[in-house]
Amino acid sequence: MLIDCPHCGPRDLAEFSYQGDATRTRPDPASTDTQAWLDYVYNRPNPAGRHREYWQHTGGCRAHLVVERDTLTHEIHAVAPVRGNAKSGDAA
Amino acid sequence: MVERASPLGSDFRPGSYGDFANGAEVTILELDRAGIVEATAWPGQEKALCEALAGACNLRLSAGSGNGAANREGVCAFNIGPGRFLVSGPRETLAGQLESAVPDTIGTVTDLSHGRTVLGIEGPKAEWVLAKLFALDFASAAFPVHSGCATAHHEIAVQIQRRGEKRFELYVSRSFARSFANTLRRAAEDVGYTIK
Amino acid sequence: MSPRRTSAGGSIDRTRTIRFTFDGEAHTGHAGDTLASALLANGVSLVGRSFKYHRPRGVFSAGVDEPNALVTILREGVREPNIPATQIELHDGLRAESQNRFPSLAWDFGALNQLGGRLLGAGFYYKTFMGPVAGPLKGTRFWMMCEHVIRRAAGLGRADYEADPSRYEHMNAFCDVLVVGGGIAGLMAAEAAAKAGKRVILAEQEKQTGGFARWSGETIDAKPADAWAAEITARLSALDNVRLLTRTAVWGYYDGNTLAALERVNDHVARTPKGHPRQRHWTIRAGTVVLATGALERPIVFPGNDCPGVMLAGAVRRYAGEFGVLPGEKTVLFTNNDSAYQAAAAIRRAGGHVAAIVDVRKQIGDEATALATEAGVVPLTGHAIVGTKGGKALSGAVVQAFDADTGRLSGEARPIDCDSLAVSGGWQPVIHLASQAGGKPVWDAEKQAFLPPEPTQRWIGAGAFLGETGSVEALASGRNAGLKSADKRPSRAKLPETAPSALDLTPAPVLEIRGKGKAFVDFQHDVTADDVRLAHREGFVSVEHLKRYTTLGMATDQGKTSNVPGLAIMAAARGIEIPQAGTTRFRPPFSPVAIGALAAERYGDLKPERLTPLHDWHEEHGAEMTPAGLWHRPLAYAGAGETVEQAYIREASAVRRSVGLVDVSTLGKIAVKGPDAATFLDRVYTNTFSTLKVGKARYGLMLREDGLVFDDGTTWRLGETDFLMTTTTANAGPVMQHLEYCLDILWPDLKVHLTSVTDQWAGAAIAGPKARAVLERCVTGTAVDNDALPFMGIVHGEIDGAPVMICRLSFSGELAYEVYCGAGHGVHVWEALLEAGEPFGITPYGMEALGALRIEKGHVTGAEIDGRTTARDLYLDGMLSKKKSFIGSGLMDRPALIDRNRLRLVGVVSLDGQPLGGGAHLVESGNRDEPGDSIGHVTGYCYSPALEKYIGLALVKGGKTRHGTRAFLSDPLRKRFGQVEIVSHHFFDPDGERMHG
Repeated sequence: MLIDCPHCGPRDLAEFSYQGDATRTRPDPASTDTQAWLDYVYNRPNPAGRHREYWQHTGGCRAHLVVERDTLTHEIHAVAPVRGNAKSGDAA
Repeated sequence: MVERASPLGSDFRPGSYGDFANGAEVTILELDRAGIVEATAWPGQEKALCEALAGACNLRLSAGSGNGAANREGVCAFNIGPGRFLVSGPRETLAGQLESAVPDTIGTVTDLSHGRTVLGIEGPKAEWVLAKLFALDFASAAFPVHSGCATAHHEIAVQIQRRGEKRFELYVSRSFARSFANTLRRAAEDVGYTIK
Repeated sequence: MSPRRTSAGGSIDRTRTIRFTFDGEAHTGHAGDTLASALLANGVSLVGRSFKYHRPRGVFSAGVDEPNALVTILREGVREPNIPATQIELHDGLRAESQNRFPSLAWDFGALNQLGGRLLGAGFYYKTFMGPVAGPLKGTRFWMMCEHVIRRAAGLGRADYEADPSRYEHMNAFCDVLVVGGGIAGLMAAEAAAKAGKRVILAEQEKQTGGFARWSGETIDAKPADAWAAEITARLSALDNVRLLTRTAVWGYYDGNTLAALERVNDHVARTPKGHPRQRHWTIRAGTVVLATGALERPIVFPGNDCPGVMLAGAVRRYAGEFGVLPGEKTVLFTNNDSAYQAAAAIRRAGGHVAAIVDVRKQIGDEATALATEAGVVPLTGHAIVGTKGGKALSGAVVQAFDADTGRLSGEARPIDCDSLAVSGGWQPVIHLASQAGGKPVWDAEKQAFLPPEPTQRWIGAGAFLGETGSVEALASGRNAGLKSADKRPSRAKLPETAPSALDLTPAPVLEIRGKGKAFVDFQHDVTADDVRLAHREGFVSVEHLKRYTTLGMATDQGKTSNVPGLAIMAAARGIEIPQAGTTRFRPPFSPVAIGALAAERYGDLKPERLTPLHDWHEEHGAEMTPAGLWHRPLAYAGAGETVEQAYIREASAVRRSVGLVDVSTLGKIAVKGPDAATFLDRVYTNTFSTLKVGKARYGLMLREDGLVFDDGTTWRLGETDFLMTTTTANAGPVMQHLEYCLDILWPDLKVHLTSVTDQWAGAAIAGPKARAVLERCVTGTAVDNDALPFMGIVHGEIDGAPVMICRLSFSGELAYEVYCGAGHGVHVWEALLEAGEPFGITPYGMEALGALRIEKGHVTGAEIDGRTTARDLYLDGMLSKKKSFIGSGLMDRPALIDRNRLRLVGVVSLDGQPLGGGAHLVESGNRDEPGDSIGHVTGYCYSPALEKYIGLALVKGGKTRHGTRAFLSDPLRKRFGQVEIVSHHFFDPDGERMHG
């Protein structure tokens, strides 16, 4: 499998580390809502089909990427850097 | 000035190795780079960082993925990540020089002079040998002279700059340098290699 | 010259004789032979015994599809089993052995299994070895009792017990167009793509390109087809943008048009040249793939079809055409299509004798008739072979009238004298790679074959792969595929000229002749047609279940000759059509791949070694090294006659008494820089760093988001916006990744840069009451007294000319400093410290002493920060800031994490004077045999030189509440049981007077 790193170009899967679900949102840091924290830390959707995932190009530029991937076909629909992508990245 | 010890050990010594009956087709050497520095721009300051580095080192460096440059004094630089450059040269003072050239409004500078070991590989079979270790397209159309990239051979992170049609420079973390040099040497045995 | 070798013809070099042995017997062959062709030329018909029934078997095919002729090769000290003799290029000194026979191939004890054949049908093992539900043989015990006998009786070649000394290597390649298959279609595709300027790789699994053209005897462009193929190959070789890989089997088609290929670089020579690999594993990333993988011939299943001497008709044609080898003196052909007629003519042209052509069809075309005439026989149409004669070699076939429409036999069965029987059941395109790439094969009722699926990745088919069978079509589709791969339209330019064939290779839909006796579908796994029907009767109707139950198609040949016949028999049993019965998805590898080739350079050198700048010094000074992750660190510097335990006790005592020196270069070091660096650290550490003054260090604790402890270490403020974070050796990588995640994803607004500087610095910790005195003797440029360098202070100076950075902090509990210098100056500074410490008897110490000192002090490491402990468990509550939120603060106060009865940190003292054991459990009961429930476990232990007894750290239920109580160490694995006292983990100098002194 190849991931087309927006910075480095297409690279082998072996250079990347899976960094988890990209659809979850971290609660406000000061939040005392335990359920919100539990959802953030433990609950994951497991869709059959398109999914947004974080991958880090650990064996390359080390940037984190949002990879939109089909979990059934392994097809990668889009790869975008996390930084500069307004949708991702939770407010501190 | 205290002399800097090489991490490569006593096995890394001049000579010809592997199947060199028909002439060694690559040369491997440890390059003496007294100054190795990583410089990183804040988002939006990539161009400014390039200008600062270019000005300080007399390089024709432009921002952008994989771009690189080198000058006649032996200073070279290439992009290894978003807004991140690896600069090296013959002088130990490089880090200090770049720290003054890069104000903290543009980015940061970190001295890696002791932390990286630079290996050179040169010769008609350089691409062949490197292709064994890295899943990268080394053809010059895909990897032009002066350009560079960050990649890895299994656990070992390596930054590579092409310095000539048949010449590459590999930056590895010092602690991995001996292990990596041995891997590189083994990969070069079928084409025969010379250590200079 | 052997009787089976023709005097002329073929591409072997009769002037070069090659000597080899088979089962110890000397034979000769010629350059260009395979082991199979040479054995056939020598009249060796029996080459192996079958998997289950030990039936005699001979060469069945001429290529990668060989199910029978598997041999073991002994070469350069290695025995490699299960290699098809058809794939082995003959070379001088080749040593091959037959397999699965005892005591010899001809007299095989295991052949007795044939007598019990009825018992050994499909599912034999499942049924027989289920075992009774009760009693001494219940469950799997009966199987375990019988297993060693069965394992010896059933099977293929025996693997070697010795390590494989061969060299393998990996290679990465990129191309615009990868052409798989070097037949005429592949060659045309490669040339068309190369002429369009594309970077092309052409992979051919055999020793040379040309494929079918090498032995077909056809004419292309007025030249013999093999000469034409050699010419186009030479043109391709001369191009810079083409890489020709022969002996290279593309065996896997993965996501992203990534393909795996195995190049057998030196298997065809007696000795691998120095420095060269035996095999090379290619990972090829291709823009477009041209699949020109050809077609494989299928057999017809009939009773006795496994007798040595029964072969595929195409194989017979190839042996005659390429190797000048006749499979027998009298050959009978049995077919459901016209291709056997080409084989018959080839036998005749090579000087052989065709005894009969038996054809299940009632009528045949003119061209086939003409070929039969050339072969000197009148085809026996509307007939079938219903049995064979002979044991270790074929001596005859039995023929009977047959109606292809009804499948009914009639009339008298009569024998035909022959020693060779060539069978053709039609051709199946090699669609394995297309199937691996994704997509379901399509059954073509007209062609009676599975055709390639619609591409789900970027590939284009060409030649016989598409189900086309003629050379005219192959040349055209090959060129078109090449042009298409280069985004060009099909060309109208003249194609190389070749005679179109009027032969009808479309088979009659007959793949089995039913009769008395075993009719084999899968030769390699000894699966018969009756086994398939038995599986159906027992309810295994899905193809996937059928495969697993009968093991059909699951041997090393992956069912290349058996998949379609097996499916046809299953479909017939169910009374449905083949497409309804389905087909299985092909999976990699297409052909076997040695594990060594996958491991390649990782073999024998599984991990890289990570060495500190002081590594050589340690080894030169007698250190026993120990791995710590990838790092290698000194365990202890045992002197002559000293054990490791004696050495670490000596080393640790020296630290407490005077001064010692330890290499701490492996600690993770991360430069954290930028205007928001302090804010960032406040968020990732549980305690506060924004209040830290420049020139000072602070111990910090990190949690994970789930509230458990992640890592600890000190972070030094070198400037207002410049921090140096240290991590534990083991967690350097994970901490870096965690911090990068936080910056990229959680707080992209923070202006902070991270750089790993672990390798930039060599670190030495100097510890002991005399540590300061040593520094005073060697450090210049700065004072190191208590005012200039208080606890947790940082100064910069020089040691013997090398710049150093010194931080006063202590892991041992003694007055101690960490001295950092550029890694390249590591040995220089280390030796200067030793020299300065000489008057005090400075002692280098290793990991064991370091461990003993930290246990005495009650400092935690990875053994306690094990991913299950909280800060409170480790009595580090004071580190949890109440004034801010930080990573982990959201969940760290969950009820289960603050339960007082959790496993918490304590010290334990051995009361019987014996060592404790890492990981040993602690129990309350003093009964060694019934120790009861665990109340916790020992995380680290040592002999404490300061306390003069064995002590340890432990995680125990309730922690502190048990101080002063007794418990028992229960360590049955190490046969250790003894009483301990639970105490505070601060064994030594609990108030820290020594390190603050």
